[in-house]
Amino acid sequence: MTGMTMTNTTTRRGANAALLAFFGAAALAAPAFAQNSARDAGAEAFVQTKAQRVITVLANKGMSDAQKAQVFHQAVDELADVPRITNFVLGKYARTITPEQRARFTPIFRTYAENVYQSRIDDYRGEQLKVVGSVVNKPGDVTVKTVISGGQITQPLPVSWRVLGGGQTWKVVDVQFKGIWLAITQQQDFVSTIDNAGGNIDVLINQLQKSGSNSSGGKR
Amino acid sequence: MSHQHQSPRHEATGRHIAAAGLAVAASLATFAPALAQDQAVPGQSVGTTASVETANDPWEGFNRGSFKFGMGLDRAILSPVAHGYMAVTPRVVRNRVSSAVYNLGEPNTVMNLVLQGKPKGAARSTTRFIVNSTVGVLGLFDVAAKMHLPRRDSDFGQTFGKWGAKAGPYVYVPLMGPLNVRDGVGRALDIFTDPVSFYVGGLSTDFGKARTGVTIVDLRAQTDPAFQALKDAADPYVTTRSAYTQYREAFVREATGDAEVLPDFDSPPPEAPPQGAPAEAPKP
Repeated sequence: MTGMTMTNTTTRRGANAALLAFFGAAALAAPAFAQNSARDAGAEAFVQTKAQRVITVLANKGMSDAQKAQVFHQAVDELADVPRITNFVLGKYARTITPEQRARFTPIFRTYAENVYQSRIDDYRGEQLKVVGSVVNKPGDVTVKTVISGGQITQPLPVSWRVLGGGQTWKVVDVQFKGIWLAITQQQDFVSTIDNAGGNIDVLINQLQKSGSNSSGGKR
Repeated sequence: MSHQHQSPRHEATGRHIAAAGLAVAASLATFAPALAQDQAVPGQSVGTTASVETANDPWEGFNRGSFKFGMGLDRAILSPVAHGYMAVTPRVVRNRVSSAVYNLGEPNTVMNLVLQGKPKGAARSTTRFIVNSTVGVLGLFDVAAKMHLPRRDSDFGQTFGKWGAKAGPYVYVPLMGPLNVRDGVGRALDIFTDPVSFYVGGLSTDFGKARTGVTIVDLRAQTDPAFQALKDAADPYVTTRSAYTQYREAFVREATGDAEVLPDFDSPPPEAPPQGAPAEAPKP
């Protein structure tokens, strides 16, 4: 038995070496993997505390949806940088939006975004959030990787939080589920809507206002 | 992905598979360097790009029609079936069904992990399949996950991506949903080379028909939150395209290990809007 295992192991080692040689050669053509050891402890601590708080509220079975929405509404400013997100989702139109349009867009987007973010987080109804690492995109711009589990989640759910700031002061600007960033998706959605309206930003604002009144967000 | 919890037995299985897959892998490796050449994009290290990447969608007109048709079919057929299923079946039962469907996909995962040169991952998925098909009662229970053999998905689209194939243009196919050229070809290969269809039964068998039906209903029920989310979109077509593209790119990065390069958050992209803009702002 031991002898056989020995021989087998040798053959397998040979096969593995051959495999390595093949794929090693292929890998040389690809750029070196950008493995980032840079982590940011401050950003990780911020997400661990603040995001966990939001998750806990949304997973609380003793609270009504209306109560949750209320708490979420109050927690948003502590957690997220709403003005920066508002500007980002407009994409290239952030340069051309008039002050009047911006004044209309800002509160409408806020309501819309609160609904959307709350219902995306709520879709999964996880209970525990654990920071598993972070990547510094550039100084002051960090992606914090977390895993949400417990509650209704059968498979641990990876969620990333993009935070901007420094030291102990951070704010979330985007959240990623299953590889999909919410704000990036919204930017593409909004910019396309304005493009298709011939550059008229009012069309988007009216549409968001309408969908705010019959949105799926936070009411299920 | 860490490959730490490997017992010697699992590794041995992996090497067997590795040896078996060598021939296939060798042929893949011969064209891989050619494919990998266009992967050498500067700035792959961490950092940010000026703006969100523009969509690769030359067939947008056709795709939009196709999307509208597909969503109509969904509203008429798939959505009522899935919601009926969700209404009459408790979540615990649906989770068991999802596990069984997932388990039947595991051999395809193994095949692709071999093709990606990941013998340990292939060994882990093989063990998962064996354990869950037996102890886990035909995959109804994910016993393997509790043995520190976590799920790891893979498919041909990811394998192509791993060896440097670009996504190519976006396509929306009614009933199949969003795709791009790379992942569409991958999906076709996933279907035609599926080991379970080969050895247990394809579409011509009762098993195959039942499996396909259950898989579709399970998938639709599982993606229901995404369909709900689309109701919030100003342009559901673009939202679907954006979400799918990001989802697949993230899935390919799982195989390549590349870092994600995000668009700069603060400066709006330099392109001038299509109308009424006097001049284009200079690129930074």
